[in-house]
Formats: sequence, C-alpha cells, structure tokens
Amino acid sequence: MTDAALLEVTDLSTHFFTRAGVVKAVDGVSFSLRRGEVMGLVGESGSGKSVTGFSIIGLIDPPGRVAGGSVKLEGRELTGLLQDELRALRGKTVSMVFQDPLMTLNPVLTIGEQIRLALEAHRKITATEARRRAIEGLAQVRIPDPEATVDFYPHQLSGGMRQRVAIAIALLHGPKLIICDEPTTALDVSIQAEILAEMKELVAELGTALIWISHDLATVASIAQHVAVMRLGKIVEEGPMLDVLTRPQHPYTRALLDALPSRTEPGTYLLRGEVPDAAPPPRLTAAKAEPAGDEAAPYFVLDDVSKRFETRTGSLRALAEKLGLAKPAVSVLAVDSVSLTVPRGEALGLVGESGSGKSTLGRMAAGIYAPSAGTVRLSGQPVMSTGETPRKLTTRVQTIFQDPFASLDPRMRIGDSISEGPRAHGLVDRAQTDAYVRDWLGAVGLDPAVAGRYPHQFSGGQRQRVAIARALAMQPDLVICDEPVASLDVSIQAQILNLLMRLRSELGLTLIFISHDLSVVRHLCERVAVMYRGRIVEEGPAAEVYDRPRHDYTKRLLAAVPVLPAAAS
Amino acid sequence: MLTHVLERILQALAVMLVMSALVFIGVYAIGNPIDVLIGPDVSQDIRLETIARYGLDKPLWEQYFTFLGRVLHGDFGRSFVFGMPVLELILSRLPATLELTIAAVVGAALIGVPAGIYAGYRPDSALAKTIMAISILGFSVPTFWIGLVLIMTFAVELQILPAGGRGDTAALLGVEWSFLTANGLSHMLLPAANLAFFKLALMTRLARAGTREVMLSDTVKFARAAGLSEWTVLRRHVLRLISIPLVTVFGLEFASTLAFAVVTETIFSWPGIGKLIIDSIQSLDRPVMVAYLMLVAFVFIMINFLVDLAYFALDPRLRKGRG
Repeated sequence: MTDAALLEVTDLSTHFFTRAGVVKAVDGVSFSLRRGEVMGLVGESGSGKSVTGFSIIGLIDPPGRVAGGSVKLEGRELTGLLQDELRALRGKTVSMVFQDPLMTLNPVLTIGEQIRLALEAHRKITATEARRRAIEGLAQVRIPDPEATVDFYPHQLSGGMRQRVAIAIALLHGPKLIICDEPTTALDVSIQAEILAEMKELVAELGTALIWISHDLATVASIAQHVAVMRLGKIVEEGPMLDVLTRPQHPYTRALLDALPSRTEPGTYLLRGEVPDAAPPPRLTAAKAEPAGDEAAPYFVLDDVSKRFETRTGSLRALAEKLGLAKPAVSVLAVDSVSLTVPRGEALGLVGESGSGKSTLGRMAAGIYAPSAGTVRLSGQPVMSTGETPRKLTTRVQTIFQDPFASLDPRMRIGDSISEGPRAHGLVDRAQTDAYVRDWLGAVGLDPAVAGRYPHQFSGGQRQRVAIARALAMQPDLVICDEPVASLDVSIQAQILNLLMRLRSELGLTLIFISHDLSVVRHLCERVAVMYRGRIVEEGPAAEVYDRPRHDYTKRLLAAVPVLPAAAS
Repeated sequence: MLTHVLERILQALAVMLVMSALVFIGVYAIGNPIDVLIGPDVSQDIRLETIARYGLDKPLWEQYFTFLGRVLHGDFGRSFVFGMPVLELILSRLPATLELTIAAVVGAALIGVPAGIYAGYRPDSALAKTIMAISILGFSVPTFWIGLVLIMTFAVELQILPAGGRGDTAALLGVEWSFLTANGLSHMLLPAANLAFFKLALMTRLARAGTREVMLSDTVKFARAAGLSEWTVLRRHVLRLISIPLVTVFGLEFASTLAFAVVTETIFSWPGIGKLIIDSIQSLDRPVMVAYLMLVAFVFIMINFLVDLAYFALDPRLRKGRG
C-alpha cells in the first residue's frame, strides 16, 4: 500500500441471499486506486462489475449485502458504516454516473430542480445560489446555453446532453472518486467520443479518480490507465491498460479480445474451436406458391422510398389547420428518397446513428412499414401491396429484431413460435411440425428438446438463436437483421455472428444487416451503406468505405470509433 | 393546449346531449307517474287534465324537445313530489353529499398514499404486511356491513358518536355545512369513514405498487448515489413519479362517490342526493331522476377533464410545444 492510495478494496465479497441459494456476485475482489487515476473495470453481463461499483458506496439492495472484505477510502473503512454515514459520502466524496440518463434523471423534475436536490443533500443552500451553481455545473460539462437548459426537463435534451447533466450532478461537490457504470453504452459513437474526451479532460483538470465500468474493451482502452478484467465475481487479470490489452495473460481476457470482430479478418469465424451446429433442414416450398418473379430483374430493389411519420391530430385541430388558425402538425421524414439495389447472395450493411432512419428503412424493406413514396421489389415483385391498408405479399423476406425478449411472445412455447408461421403458410403440416422445429433448433445450436420452453427460460443469446430459427423457418431468401447483436455480450455476439455467417452460406441467403456497430458490419458485410438524417450519404464495398471514406459524415463516424491498441504478436 | 381544451368542451357537449336523450327515454320507460301524482279515486276529467298539464299526452320526441328547450334555459322542471324546482331541490341536497365525499376521498388519500408508500418502501416489515392485510378487508367487505358495524360499535355500544343525521350546520356562502360545527363533524365522522374505507384500500395498494416499481428504478439509485436522504427520495422523486395513477383514481372515486353515495347515505340517514334519488325512484319523480342523472354525467365529464389537466401539470412529457 502506498500512501497515495485513494481507494483500497481488499477481498470484497457481495452476496445475494435468494430463495434459490446464495449468489456470489462479487467474490473476493481486490484492487487499489491512486488519486486521479482512471481504472477500467471490464467484464460481460453477470461478471459482477456493476455490483462491485455499488458495493463501494454501500448501495446494494436486499437481498444482497456486502458479506466480507474491506473498502478503504482515504484510509477510512467504509464497510460496516451506518447508512447515514455512507449517505454523507455519496455524491460528496464518491459519486456515480449510470448507463442510461433517460432512466436515471427524473422525467418530471427540471434539470435545475434535480441539481438543487443534489446540492441540498450536502449543505443548506438558497434557491438563487442553487440556480447559480446549477448553471455553473452545466457550463462545466460544456452544455451550451446553461441558463436555458437549467429549466428544461430531461426529455427535452438529447441523449448526450442528458448524460452531461448526470455528469454535472456527479461533479457538483468535487468528489475524489467517480464510479461510472457503462456511461456511454446507450450513446451513439460520435456522442460517446465527445463524452470520453470531455471526461478525460475533466478528470485531468480536477484530479478526480475514476472507475470506468464497461463491457466494451475499446472505450476502456481509450480512457483508462489501468484495467481489471472480471469474470464470475472475480478479477481474473489486472494491470496497466496496454499490458492487459496487448499481452493478455489470462485465457478469458484473450477470448474476450478474440471475440471482437475488429480484431479478426472480415468474413472469418470468430473464436475458433467452437463445436459446429447441425445443418439446417432442406429447403421447402409453400403449398400455395408465390409468383416466381422475373429472374432477369435486379434481385432486391428499394426504389426511391421515403417514409414520413405524422403525429395524429384531432378533427378540430385538422379543421383549424385547414383554416390556417393552427400550425400544421409536425411530421418527420424518417427516410428521404433512398434507392438501393442488393444482388442475390450479398450481405449489405446499413450503418448510421440513432435517428438516422436505418431501422425505418429496414422495416420498409421487410414489408413492415409501407413506404410513403417509392416501392420495394424482390425479383421484380412488390413486397407490399398498395392501397388503403397495404399488406405484405411475400414470405420470402423475414426480419430478425434486436430484442428477442420483446419480439417473442412470452406466453407461447418457443416451438410454437417457430412453427406458427410455417404452419400458417402451409410449409409444413401438423405431422411434420415437431420434426421441423427440432431440425431448426439444432441448426441454430440449441438442444431440440427445449421446444416446449418459454422465452424467459433462455438467456439473451439463446433467445436470439430462437428468433433466428423463427425467421429462417419461414424459408426466406432475404433476411433483414435489425441490430441482432446489439444487446449481447461480446462472446455471445461472436457466436451469433458465426451462426449468421454459417447459415447465410449454407442457405444462400441475402442479408441486409442494420447496425450502429461499424466493426460488426465490417466483419459480416461485403458492401456498406451509410445513413445520415434519412439519406444514404455513402455506399460501396466495405473495404473501400472503411479505408477511404469519401463523405465527411462517414469520416467523422469512423474517427469516433474507439480503437483498441494493436495486439503484440 | 387551447385546441385541446376546445375539443374537450365540444366532446363534453356531445356527451351531454346523448346522455340527455338516453336518460329521458330510459326514465320514460319506467312506470306511469300519473298514478303517483293523483289519487286513484279522482274523476277521469281531472286525470286527463293533469296529463295534459304535464304534457304527458304529447309524443315522446315532442316531450323530449320541450324538455331540452327548458334545460337550455336552466329549467329542469318541478318535482312531482316536492312541488319545487328540481334544480333548487338538488342543489339544496348537494352540499351534504359534497362535504361527505370530500371528507371521504381526501381522507382516504391522505392516509392511503403515505401508508401505501411505506408498504412499498419496506415491503417486508410487519407494519407493511398489516397495512396490506387491512387493505384486503377494505376491498372485500361490503360497504353496508361496515356501516352497520360502525353504528353498532360507536353509536350503540360505545355511544360516543351519533348514528345518523347531519347534526348542527352553519352557513357559509349561503349554504348550510356540517363540517363547520363540532356537532356536525361528529355526525360526519362515521359515514365519511364508511365511504373512505374502500378508497383507502385502493389508494394504499396503488401507492404501494407504484412505490415498489419506482424504488427499483435507476432514478432512485442515481438520487441515492448523489447522497439524497431516503426522505427526500420518497418525497421529491417517488411521490411525483407515482402520482399519475393516483390522480386518476382520485378523480374517478371522487366522481363516483359524489354520484353513488346512496348506500352509506341511506344507512346513516344522511340527507344528501343519494338519498334523494332513491326516494324519487320509489315515487317515480321523473324530473328529479332526469336532472340527477344529467348532473352525474356532468360531474364525471368535469372531473375527467380536471384529471386530464392535472396530467399536464404532473408530467411535463405530455406538454407539447417545447423541446
């Protein structure tokens, strides 16, 4: 122990005493942190990294509690302190920033009120003084026009601005340590890059120490001097950032790094050595055959499609608008005259930040939304009918969504979820259903015996496999993947990407792969289209777009992606 | 916002119009008021003359439009039984019900919301479990039975509170109120408690469910991490975040109690409109019934409107125009 140590965590254990038994979320963790030092705490979900952060300031909800070990802050033991004594430290000496500022800030209080509450927690303060401090605090985290922002509600700010407000609150009392729990995970890459840069500056300026908890090795690499890798409640490897990330000693650290698409040759399988899954069942054709389509026509075409979303208005309001008494309701042009052609068998990546219109475009391609203008055609045949209530005309296009927990019916056995579509469209009859479902479960790497289970009985990665089986059991030719790996851990993400690559080559699928993660798209797709504000600003072969971006936006986007230090060979 | 208010007013007028037709036709279908108005032994001439005087010989639609025309002038007709203008009659009874309703609903909220927040904040404590057990009683035991038990206990056995009536009243703004005198208050206590019991259970359970959910949210975690005291977290964050469903139920319960306090008013002989409407149904006092039902519709529309306005005040995300 050096006398400069700010935080000394020794053999910390936090256990959750549940009915099913004791869960050792944090199981003997030790590390120390010097003043002004930035430490990255890396791990996958369930590794105990967040619980470690909460344990330090005694914010563990029952049935969990700190079961053993010691946490010393400036030499003072924190475990065993009374709640009031801990409260006096929280926000003042140690503060926290969380993942999603939309969830952490109170939606019904103004920014100013929330800052005032945080100020009042540690000292008496008048309303005018609180307001002045709030404006100062907002200015410190580089929020433009803090005098106006202080009276805003959280929903009136963008995601990046909201996170800045949360950081401003964390900085109010000049803490010695800030614990950041996935602070940039919910943000777009360009916003993430800004916040990372600002955090680095602030920390250097104020001499605050930082514990940066994240699942993302690359963001940690760009801010931390020191990294600890956690797995199953234990720190498996710890050391200076460059050493850990370029010369990993522990096999788990190595596996985490190998699972990253950015560190592997595009198009190759990640994390080699996996057991191959069963082959998918043979192609079936529906009882009622669809029109074959024109083989000579370009395979999949989005022809000048646009989508405008209107806010619904009442009849009186509509009348007032007609008479010019009210301003017309706001409409959003989510996709603005986009044309794309995808040849058979190609994987096209669609990248862009939130609000760029990539998901809306994907949904029009999938026949979920009817375009406001333009058409979508597969082999020359329209994907949707026109008229008052447009209907999807083909089963040859299917979609895999981001969140399988939201897209699978929670009250339906997964076997029924998978067979529902094929049965309805006459791909299989009742007698064949069970075998068909089992074949598909095997093909996506699940035990065929799980067909009778419900979605909540699966992990996130397994649920995404079910969702893939459900989409592919419809025997599509074209699959739209909308952020299919965005909510998964890197090792699970690697498995799902491998699965998609394998099934794509075995089934000869054409893919449209929508993602905010540029490295995943680079790995999976031959061609990339970059979307910005509803338009495609750049399109071309993946290697060319990534290595020689032409459009300014693409350049900015690529520059914002945090990069891992190259591995030492 | 302004167009929203205008739209709501137009909607309310349409609802009132439909309601008036439904009520008029519905009440017309029940019994013959003439048998109530005159004795069975009067001559046929007088009978016909009475029918003509009340316009009961005209076709239904004509009676309806005559009625509608008079309503627009604020005239709901005269009570067959009391012989006084219906509006005056109802308004003379309304304060009694109003003060009882306010006492019951506000009392239920003042006790139920804190109790529910506590039960949601410390769900495993013995007190929380007791609160929840009582709230189940509030749901499942019928109101009339609780009323009788209250009378038996406090009026008959202990003899500390009166069993019925309004007690002494004092005038405020030209209206007689019970809550202004000690004797009136003691008369109000039992019926108000009786009415409040179900609402108390409802508010408690709602507040508890909301609190349990909000306590697990990141908002509360973040507030705690900023060093806010538990009291501040509950008062400034939790209470605000659970208020929308509470306000909804508060409004609905207020309206329904005002309109349908019948059982309690009957048990405690409280001379409110609940008792008036029961009496007028028994005596087929048509104008009173029609006016009362119109009033009920009006009260519901007004309170829903106020609840909507409260939403705007409570949740800035519903306000448009900024951001």
